[in-house]
Formats: sequence, C-alpha cells, structure tokens
Amino acid sequence: MYKTIRIIMAAFWLLAAMSVSAQDQRQRKPETIVQDVLAQMPTQNHDDFEREIGDLAKGAPQTVTILCRMLQPAEKACNNMVEYAISGVVSYASGHTQYAGAVRQAIEEAVSSAPDQTAKEFLQSQLRLIASDSKAIEYTAHAGAAPYAQLYDDIKAAGGNCTDIVLKALKSKDRAYRMQALKLAADYADDATIAKVCKKYKSLSDEGKEDVLGWLGDNKAVSQLPLVLKEIEKGKATTPMAIETAGRIGGDEAITALLAALQTDYSAQALNALKSVKGDLSQPVMQALQEATGEQKLALLSLAQSRRIKAVTPVVLEMVESNDATLADAALKALPGVITAGEVDKAASLLDKAADSKVADFQKVFMAAVNDLAADQRYSAISKAMKAAKNSARLYPALASTATDQSVSDLQQAWEKGDAQALQALVSSTNYKAAAPLLKAAQQGNEQALSAYVGLVETHETDADTRTNCLAKAMECAKTAASKTRVLNSLGATATRNSFILVGKSLDDKEVAYTAALAQKNIARKCLSDIDYKMLQADMDKCIAILEAHGKATGNPDGVYAVGEIKKMLAEVKPSPVYVLTEEEQKAGFEILFDGTNLDKWTGNKVGYIVVNGVIYVTANYGNESNLYTVNEYRDFVFRFDFCFTKPGVNNGVGIRTPMGVDAAYYGMCECQILDHDDPIYAGLHEYQVHGSAYGIIPAKRLKHKPLGEWSTEEIEVKGDHIKVTVNGEVILDGNLREACQGHNVAPDGSDTNPYTVDHRNHPGMFNKTGHIGFLGHGEGLKFRNVRVLDLSKKTKK
Amino acid sequence: MSIDRRTFLQRGAMGAALFTILPRNVLGKMGGKNSFIAPSDQLTRGIIGVGGIGRSDLHFVNDERCRMVALCDVDQKHLDSAMEAAKAKWNITPKAYHDFRDLIHDPDVDIVHIATPSHWHGIMSVEAANAGKDILCEKPMTRTIGEGKRVEEAVKRNGRIFRLDTWFRFKDTFYGLGTDVKPLKKLIDSGLLGWPLKVRISGATGFTWKFFWTGKENLEVQPIPKELDYDLWLGPAPYKPYNVHRTHQTFRGYWDYDGGGLGDMGQHYIDPVQYFLGKDDTFPVKVEVDAPQQHPDAVGIWRKITYTYEDGCQIILEGEGFESQGKVPYIEGPKGKVYKGFECTIPNIQSVINELPDPEPRCTDFLDCVRSRRQFALNESNGHHSATIVNMGVCALRLGRTLHFDPKTQLFINDDAANRLVNQPMRGDWGKYI
Repeated sequence: MYKTIRIIMAAFWLLAAMSVSAQDQRQRKPETIVQDVLAQMPTQNHDDFEREIGDLAKGAPQTVTILCRMLQPAEKACNNMVEYAISGVVSYASGHTQYAGAVRQAIEEAVSSAPDQTAKEFLQSQLRLIASDSKAIEYTAHAGAAPYAQLYDDIKAAGGNCTDIVLKALKSKDRAYRMQALKLAADYADDATIAKVCKKYKSLSDEGKEDVLGWLGDNKAVSQLPLVLKEIEKGKATTPMAIETAGRIGGDEAITALLAALQTDYSAQALNALKSVKGDLSQPVMQALQEATGEQKLALLSLAQSRRIKAVTPVVLEMVESNDATLADAALKALPGVITAGEVDKAASLLDKAADSKVADFQKVFMAAVNDLAADQRYSAISKAMKAAKNSARLYPALASTATDQSVSDLQQAWEKGDAQALQALVSSTNYKAAAPLLKAAQQGNEQALSAYVGLVETHETDADTRTNCLAKAMECAKTAASKTRVLNSLGATATRNSFILVGKSLDDKEVAYTAALAQKNIARKCLSDIDYKMLQADMDKCIAILEAHGKATGNPDGVYAVGEIKKMLAEVKPSPVYVLTEEEQKAGFEILFDGTNLDKWTGNKVGYIVVNGVIYVTANYGNESNLYTVNEYRDFVFRFDFCFTKPGVNNGVGIRTPMGVDAAYYGMCECQILDHDDPIYAGLHEYQVHGSAYGIIPAKRLKHKPLGEWSTEEIEVKGDHIKVTVNGEVILDGNLREACQGHNVAPDGSDTNPYTVDHRNHPGMFNKTGHIGFLGHGEGLKFRNVRVLDLSKKTKK
Repeated sequence: MSIDRRTFLQRGAMGAALFTILPRNVLGKMGGKNSFIAPSDQLTRGIIGVGGIGRSDLHFVNDERCRMVALCDVDQKHLDSAMEAAKAKWNITPKAYHDFRDLIHDPDVDIVHIATPSHWHGIMSVEAANAGKDILCEKPMTRTIGEGKRVEEAVKRNGRIFRLDTWFRFKDTFYGLGTDVKPLKKLIDSGLLGWPLKVRISGATGFTWKFFWTGKENLEVQPIPKELDYDLWLGPAPYKPYNVHRTHQTFRGYWDYDGGGLGDMGQHYIDPVQYFLGKDDTFPVKVEVDAPQQHPDAVGIWRKITYTYEDGCQIILEGEGFESQGKVPYIEGPKGKVYKGFECTIPNIQSVINELPDPEPRCTDFLDCVRSRRQFALNESNGHHSATIVNMGVCALRLGRTLHFDPKTQLFINDDAANRLVNQPMRGDWGKYI
C-alpha cells in the first residue's frame, strides 16, 4: 500500500515538475527554484521578498513540499533558511490568495511526515496563518469577580436605563462597587442622569460624596457646578475633591471660587487646580492680587508666574521693591514668568543694583525679558545694557544665551583677560564658536567646560572623523570618571577607526570600563571593516569579559545581549588576504611594496598612513601632515596599485621622482593626481587637476570614477620624460613632460610666472633623474592596496 | 483575612490619600518614620516574576504603604534568591509560590504585580482581574492585540484598578529627548504646530531601539536546568526545545514571548506620543514596514515602521541604519517643528507654553488609586491602545507587508493572516484563562 502511494506520488511529481517549469519564466525545475530562493534568504527588502518568495509561491505546491522535506530534527539546528522560506511563502500566499490553496496543500501534507515535534509544530503554526476556515479563536466566558462583574453585566444590559442600578449601587458600603457603578454610568451620563445622581448627594457619606464629585469632574458636569462650588465654600472633608472638580470643569465661576479658596486652608489644592483650569485668568487674578493679603498674595504670585499672566507685571515689579521681604522674594521668584520685552531696561537696572545674594534671581528676570525680544534684537539690547551697567558681568549669562558670534568673542575676550564669570557664561553658549575657548579651559582642568565642549561637538560636528579628533582632544583632558564617561558615550556614537582606538584605551580603566565596552561594541558594529582584525579581536575579548562581569553584578540584560552581538560580529569578520604578484608580474620582475601586512618598504608619515585589514588606510589622525614615500628611489618604473574612495571629495596624489618633504608637484618630477573630481566641491576644477593629470603640466582624460567603496586599479609608467597613466584598463594620460613645456620647466626670465606650463608655475623638479615614489596627502577617505613596482632602470642595468 | 482587607478598602482613606495632586511630601509622611498607618490598613502586593525587573530596586520594595507578602517564580533559583533578599532587607518571609495562580488567589494579596516576560501578561492580568485583584503590570502590556482587548474588558468588568508600568507620559524626561512630556502636550494642544503632526522616534531624537535585543536562529537543543520549570515558563507559548537564550533576559529576541527592541521598548517610547497626540481612545489605521524578512521565531532588525492615523497624524519609528542628515525634528507640523531638548521653530516657545493651562491632572499614585478606586493615569484602556500600536508593528513586520487596521473592531482589514496574529492560539488549555 505504502509503495503504491509512493509510485502515485512520483507520477504526480513528474507531472507537477513539468507544469512548474512551464510556468517559471526562467524554465527552472522546482528544486532549482528552491535552491535559488534559499540562497537569497532572508531577503533584505520588500522587492526582493516579492520576487524571490513570489517564485516559490508560483511553484507551489511542489516548491513548498521540497522545502518542508528539508526540515531537520531540532537537534541538528540548521533549519533557519528553510524556515525563512516557508514562513515567507506562507506570508506571501496569505497576501496573494491565489497561491494560498497550493501552499496550504503542501504544508498540510508535510505535517504528518515532519521529522520531529518541533518541525511539526512549526508547520502547524504556519498552516494556521493560511487556514481556509476563518473561524475565530473562541474564548472562555469567565464568571468574574462578584459582585463587580454582575454589576457590569447589569449596567451594560440596562444601557441608557441604568440610572436606578447606579443609584442603588451608590448605597453600597464598598467603595470599589460604587466607583464601578459610577465609571460604567459615564457612558450614559447626560444632564438628566447626572441630576438624578446628584439628588442623592446629600444622603451619601463623605467618601461617597467624594466619589460623586470626582465623577462630576470626569464628566465635565457644568450643570452641577453650583453643587461643586458649595462644597468648596464649606471647607470640609470633601473640599479638596470639590476644588479639583471645579478646576476640571472650569469657567469664570469656577475660577472665582478657586481664587477665593486660595485664602483658605486649601490654598495648595486651589493653586494646583488653577494651574490647569481652562479660562481667562488675567482680570480675576489682577483683581485678586490687588485685594489680597498675606499668604494669598504669595499664592497669586505663584499662579501668575506659572500661567504667565502678563497683566500683573507692573504690580509684580513694584512688589519686588517692597519693604516686606517675604513679599519681595515671592515677587522676585514670580517675575521671570511674567516679565516681557517691554521691561528689558527695567530688568537690567534691577539686576545692576541687586544685592549679591539676589543676583542669580535677577539674572533670571533679565534673561526672561531678553528672551521675549525677537532673536536678532537680543544682542544689541544686552550690549546696550552692559554699557550702562556698573556690574556688567552680571549680564554675561544673558549675553551667552543669545548664542551670537559676537557674544562668544566678547565673552572669550573677557575670559582671556581673567574674568572667570565670562567662562561660566560661555559654558552655556550653544554657538559652536565657543568650542575653542571651552577646550582651552578644559585643558586647564575645568570639567564644566569639558562637558560643554563635548556637547557642542556632538551638536555641531557632523563629520565623523573631525568629531573624533575633537573628542580625542576632550579625552586627553578628561580626568574624572564623570568626564571620561561623558566623552566615551559621545565617542560610542561616533563610529570611526580612530574612535575605536581611542575607546580601546579606556577598556583597561576600571572606572569606565563598562561604558567603554558598550561604546566600543557600537563603534565596531558600525565600522567593522575599518578596524584591524587583530585589534578588533583583542578589544572585543576585553569587552566580553567586562560586559559579562557587569551583567552578573547588576542583572542588567544589556550586557548579555551585547556579548551575543559581539560574538555574532566576530564570527562574520575574516582576516584579509595577503597580496602576491601575478605570474606575469613575477616573470617581469615586479616587487611587492605593500602586500597587506606591513609598511616596511615605506617611510615618512606612518601616523596618517596605516595598515588596516590588508589595506593602506589614509586616516585623519591629528598631526598627520606629511607624506608616505618608498624607501628606495626609482628612475624608470611601472607603479601599480588599487585605490578606493570611501568619502566624497578625496584628494591625494602619487609623487614621481620626488625628494622627501617637498611639494612633489613642483620639486618632484611631477605629482600624478588622485582626486574624486566628480564631487560637486570640485565644480570649478582646472582640467590639469583632474584625476591622473601630471599636476599643472599635462591634463589627463577625465574618467568617471567608480562609486564610493569600490576598488579601481591604476598603473603609472615612467620612462625618461615620458609618463603614462592607466586606470581600470583605460589610458588617461600618455605624454612627455619636457615636450609639454617645451623644455621650460622654469620661466626663462627667472620670474615666478612660467608661460610654458599650463598652470603658469615653475616646476624645478621636473627633470629630476631619480627620486622616491610617494603618496601625497593627508585627507581621510582613501584606501590603497596591493602596491607593487617594476624598476625598469635596474632591469636595463642587468 | 480577606474580609478584613475588603472592609478596609470599603472604608477607604479620606482626605490626603485621595487628592492626588497634593504635594508628595504630604503623602510621603504616610510611609515615613512617623507613619500612622496601622498594619491592617496597609495594602499588600505579590510579585510574579522575580528574576528581572521584579527584583530591581524600583520594584522590589516593601514599605508601610504596601507590604510585599508573596513572591512567585518558575525558576527556583530566582525565587530562593528573592526570598533571601527579602529576609536580608526587611527581615520578612513572604509566601513563596511556584504557580502564579496560587499567588493570585491568595486572599492576603491585594495587588498582583506582573513582572514576567510579556507572553504571560494577558493571561495573568485577566486571571487577577477575575479574582478581584488590582494589577500592576510591567510594559509591554500584552504581546498580542487580542490579549490586550481582553485585559481591558476583564479589568473594566471586574471594577479593578490597573496600572501599566511605564511612566513617561506623566513623569521624568523622556529618554534622550531632553524634555518631559508636559510642555510637548501643551504645545500640541495649543494648535501652534498645526495639524496633522508627524512624530519621529529615532536615535537622532534620543531613542535607541536596542537592536541587539534580537533572537538567534538555529538554537541548539540544551538540557533544561533543574531549577527551571520550563513547561510553566513557556505556558501558553508554543513548545520549543530549551535553549538558555530563549529564557531569562534574552527572551525578548523571540516572537513567541516578546518582540525585540520594538516589542520591549516600544511602549515606553510610543505611549507618551499617543498621549500628546490625544489618541488615547483610537488606533492608527495603517502600518507600513521597511525591514529585512523576519524569521518566524527569532526577532530581527528593521529599518522603519510608519503608523498613520485616520486624520493623517503619523508616528515614524526610525530603526537600524537610519543616518540623520542634519537635525531631525521630533515633532513636525505644518506650522512648526520641535527638536530634541524642546528646541522649537516657534520663537520664545517656553513663554508661549506658560500662558496655556497645564494638562488636566491625572491620578499618578497607584496606591492612592487602589484606595480611592480612581483610574490610574496609564491604565487598561490607554495602555491597551499604545500596546496595540507596538503590536500592529509586530504583525506587519512578521508578515512583511503594509496592514490596514479598523479601530472599531480592532482587527486588520481584509487580511486573515494578520488577524490570526491578533488572536493567537495558546498551548494546552492555557486559552481558557483569557
């Protein structure tokens, strides 16, 4: 019997396979479709998903059957790609229902032959998503908690006629029961129902009254405001709730009552209610303030401040100068909340003559007045006030808050003259120009300045490499754990090679090791290929140890996840290959100058040029300003290398027959340009500056660079005065320098202007007989690899 | 005992405990040294799940306002360690339970604190509500929309007080945003930004999505540790062979128990947005996702999830790979933008805001709510709404397509598969609890 089924199945298969290949645009067999799709799992975007999984669905049921049979028992732990494909096709078919039947059929059949329970349950869970019956899951009806559930059922059943049930419930001694009734009645709480409930109000206990009052607030029962206000007047247990409810209902009457309540024992509650009450407070508060005495006046000032009631500003200004110290203090606290642009001068003069102990408060007042001005008027208003002031330093914080360039330079000058208050103000500036003086102060040990500096860098410096350099300077002056943490967090969000190196140093610093480890993981994740494999491995081992220890000590799950993430990351990284000469190059006598491992055959700037994962990486290291040269000198040669731009606008060059430490474009034979000339910043480029040109002497043919991140090959051949440049197999320069300038590498008249060169400059090194080959530049965003040279002079000698 | 407790609750506590916007120092006295609360008047709490957040300083608390009387965990090590900590800290011996049902039905427990992985939140909340207990539930509220709907119904029907535990809508600065929510709410209510609004939750506006909270595929089968009742840990979730990564802490990376950074942090970030947009009683009508294909078991990363409300308001979650070009606005309206740190394109915004009334106060002291029976600020209803936003995203991610949602039926429109993720089957007979 079993055999028969298999034979039938096989026949079915054959037929099915044929029919599928007819459908598949590329005439593939179902097995091939499955293989192709599995190779693409998981898809990275919607279009790929639609295409790949669409192919699977169109080939269903055969494709899906094949997939289901690929499921292995759970112990083998290798099903993920198949699971992606099956769940993908199920999702696809649930959205493209024409395929649902075939997919369902295949999975249904596969369930019984699943290799184990796990696979079976997986298939069943998928099957459920495309089940043909749309029967909803049935849920159990619960008895619920008596008597509340009963009350709920009764009120829901009664609907709009629930008032009697609610009134009865209000008699209960169980507060939860009463509140349940009131909450449920909210759905039906029209004025009539509310009125019926309120009729029972008097008969209720204090607690019951509170419940009803709260309920009136929930339902914004304007019609019952008189009842609420009466409760406020009485001043008893229910008053706090009545005050809250009046605040929620709002309106003129409520406001008047609440203002009156400020004079009672419940002034704190009344004040809170007034802060959120809806309605115009200006006139009532103004009037109340004029009539009020003692405590109430203070409460009103506080209210005026938090609701910015500008009508009272003149009165408050008077109060500030009152002889009653308590009142003057309260007025001073309230003043920043109500002062306006019109009172800038007054605020400045108050600040100028303020007692030392009140300066901070009057600064707030002045600042608030200035902030009420239009942004472009603030600086001039403050400088005017400063000129008039005896204590002009008191205006520094306001000055800094304008964040104008002028404010920064004023404050910087004052600080440089020894005024510490000016630095204090600079710390609060949001202008990036403040970064320079702040860094200087940080270097002198000022922690606040350090933190402010880092903040400015974070906000303003969008270029990751520049930001890293800025933060490196900050790290140098971070001495406390707090400062280090501040800088490390910022570095963690700045993923560059150099930030990785920098943060790596803090992994051994116990105070900040955990912060550093998390930062290091984040950096590594974002710029993995820029970090040297060995360094990555070493640092990540440290991170794992730190994160695991932290997780154990604190129970915080972040550490555990981070460790998992690091391990996954390390599994994906592979050490880079070592470059060797091709057979042709070997025969020709080429020599490898850089095989991916070291710069032994190079000299010069090994700070800016470093080896990372098999490439020479041009970094933005600070203090990196010279070039990289071959140790040997060459006369005639073929120089081959690969280059890759990782940032737009890269500018570098190959120095030909150049001495070290001079400008090779003029004092070498020439500089062969390396330039991302397609970047818009080079729109006004001279043609003798494009990539491949013998700079200033012979223009190259303008090539179209490959996209960022892709590698190009280049060959520079130099024989006598002749230079030939080939990029990606295309010759872009082929010319004789001596001929190009008609033998005049320098101006015949001895002047600085040379009519024979295209850049009209003298090129005294053009006829050098020999010299180094060099990479000339120190801007980041460029990589070289596989550098080799054929020394033609040596060969001829042989 | 239970009758005594109930009698107390009926009596309630007048005055101070009721009026929740009173300064905290007034109420603070209740739990202080000069406390006047008699032991019989204290509330009591049992914690389910004491291996993670339930053991944190924030929640592993026993004081005179609310005593810790019971603990429950399916991992004996967690339970033992929590019992020891309770002994060491306060010299108390709470009742130790293995099965959450025993804790819920313990008459000495007034408040059930649910601090388990989220695949349990629905069942436990409904069971506690049906048992007449008040509930403190950690975020996310539930891991499916259907469960959330039933929690809301059960809490309402049984007249319970429910607190969902995230708090940014009413307290604290909001992650890296550099402001609390109140001024945002006032600004939006003022209409100064115009309408509709777009809210962008991204690394650039201060919210990290914890993308490393992802799952692993191809987990090897490991022996179940002796101390762990794995069957009861899984409960309603499908049976899958044990691997340590599925359980404590790292469970967040698996769809069966949670939903990665989105599932676990999403409600923290989204709930305040729902509040300030004034969407506590409605749902988005559309969710779009941009993400790599998701594994059916292990949560993966995503690039972008966009929710759209019927009126055009949008919540946009920017995920992995989002690189900001310059400053990214947090809230963007036709008439203005708000950036991190409450920086706003409308001049002198703080003064403008100050002239507006504060948002209506809500009760934000859970224990006061339990006494006064007033609804907590973040409760079964608005909590279910913000959890649903998260769960809509989860459904769209898992299916890899745009979904349309009907706020009335709380079901997806014309998408059976999506609706099968709204209501998911439960293993064994766990379904009977919800």
